[in-house]
Amino acid sequence: MIDTIRRRPLALLAGIVLAQVLLLAFQIKRENGEDHVRLVRYWAVEMLTPVERAGTLAFSKISGVWYGYVSLHDARAENQKLRGEVEQLRLRNQQLESQAAEEQRLGVLQSFREAHPEAAMLAAEVIGASADPTSHTLFINRGEHDHIRRNMGVITPDGVVGKIVEVFPASAQVLLINDKDSGVGALIASTRTHGVVKGSGDPEPHMEYIVNDEKVQVGEAITTSGEDRIFPKDLPIGAVASADPGNPFQVIRIRPAARLDRLEEVLVLLSQQELTPKKTNGGSVAPSAPSSPSSQPKTGALKSAPTANQSAGIKIPTPEPQR
Amino acid sequence: MSYMLNPGAESGSNIEVHKYYGGTVLGAALLALVLQAFLHKYGRWSELIDLPLLVTIYFGVSRRNPVTGLFLGAAIGIFQDALSHDPIGMYGIAKTIVGYVASSIGARIDTEHPASRFGLIFLFFHFHQAVLTITQHVLLDLQTPFFSPRLLLDSIVTAGAGVVLFALLDRLRRSS
Repeated sequence: MIDTIRRRPLALLAGIVLAQVLLLAFQIKRENGEDHVRLVRYWAVEMLTPVERAGTLAFSKISGVWYGYVSLHDARAENQKLRGEVEQLRLRNQQLESQAAEEQRLGVLQSFREAHPEAAMLAAEVIGASADPTSHTLFINRGEHDHIRRNMGVITPDGVVGKIVEVFPASAQVLLINDKDSGVGALIASTRTHGVVKGSGDPEPHMEYIVNDEKVQVGEAITTSGEDRIFPKDLPIGAVASADPGNPFQVIRIRPAARLDRLEEVLVLLSQQELTPKKTNGGSVAPSAPSSPSSQPKTGALKSAPTANQSAGIKIPTPEPQR
Repeated sequence: MSYMLNPGAESGSNIEVHKYYGGTVLGAALLALVLQAFLHKYGRWSELIDLPLLVTIYFGVSRRNPVTGLFLGAAIGIFQDALSHDPIGMYGIAKTIVGYVASSIGARIDTEHPASRFGLIFLFFHFHQAVLTITQHVLLDLQTPFFSPRLLLDSIVTAGAGVVLFALLDRLRRSS
């Protein structure tokens, strides 16, 4: 030990001096504001403060790294879970919006039906369309069980949609008025000029058999004439989109009143009972129904029993209750 | 007699290390401290001479052992602090360093000739004062000057007195 000290006198010197410096530090008080702080405490604080500051900074950085990166594997899983929940909520929201829109549409149908208690009609939901792009047909969720028969008219509060062409036990196929095989007896509302609205395969059907001498204005209303024995008289079909001279008849394009490309709910006319024009909740003007509705038996809350249009002598198939 | 020696080579063949009678070092140190305090009562002229510093330098360069030198300087300095109003350690640090340096360089230069002793004491005085001033600056936050005419006078007086004192102390050496 003594040999070690003798070999390293400089280290011993440093130790002795340091010990005396510490001894001084214990005795000396330094002014710190109004207080007197022992120098050793002052030094200790001065020495430790940077260390503590560095430690705090390092801890903060490490914490930042930990919470910002390392623990993000939980955040990733949580993120995926939340994304899933968001997707579910978004889907649910879409469902609710769809339901709300459906409620609104059904409300319009209900209002229209309530506005015409004289006519037997049945609300139906569109469940499908034709697989053939050139064929404008659709399927509804009403069929033979619901007393649906061929050649029944299908309308919306806006206007004519088409007619039933095939009936199945629980569904039916509707031929739209713009299908190339469709034909609806029609007349120009202002002049009462008769013609036929036929489909051409295009979205807009044409009105045929209007001579060139007949003045047809764009925007004129086209209604049913009742001559086809399918639709009652004066149901709105649409409006004239364009009218051009043709050979031998004018070429008149009709803009359908019903939105044929966005049909979701429709009304099936169970009779050819003409409808009395009334202002419906949907804002559309319903067609007239001059005949008395008192003769029509009711079969349920949603539908009235179909009857024959006696004035026109048309036999409408009378559905029989299945249940 | 002058000689050039290697520091810390007390056991070497060409080193002459002075030996003193028992208690000489301790007695001389105590006497210097007591006289420094005692003479201070009789006038401020005693402040001109730093007797503990002279004892530290003398035995440092004579013993030529840095360990012994620094311990002796530390002990004398701490006692000097204890007899003063200053915090204990002020003179202790300065005299520890002086004792170490004196022991280290005492083996390299002529310490026997009065002129060399005068110069050595003069330099050590200012070195001691520099260390003391630095310590006061750093620890006590006192702005004491490193040099002043008074310090120059003190150093000259102390160096002169040291030459006489060293000659007296030489008589306490044991003959080898």
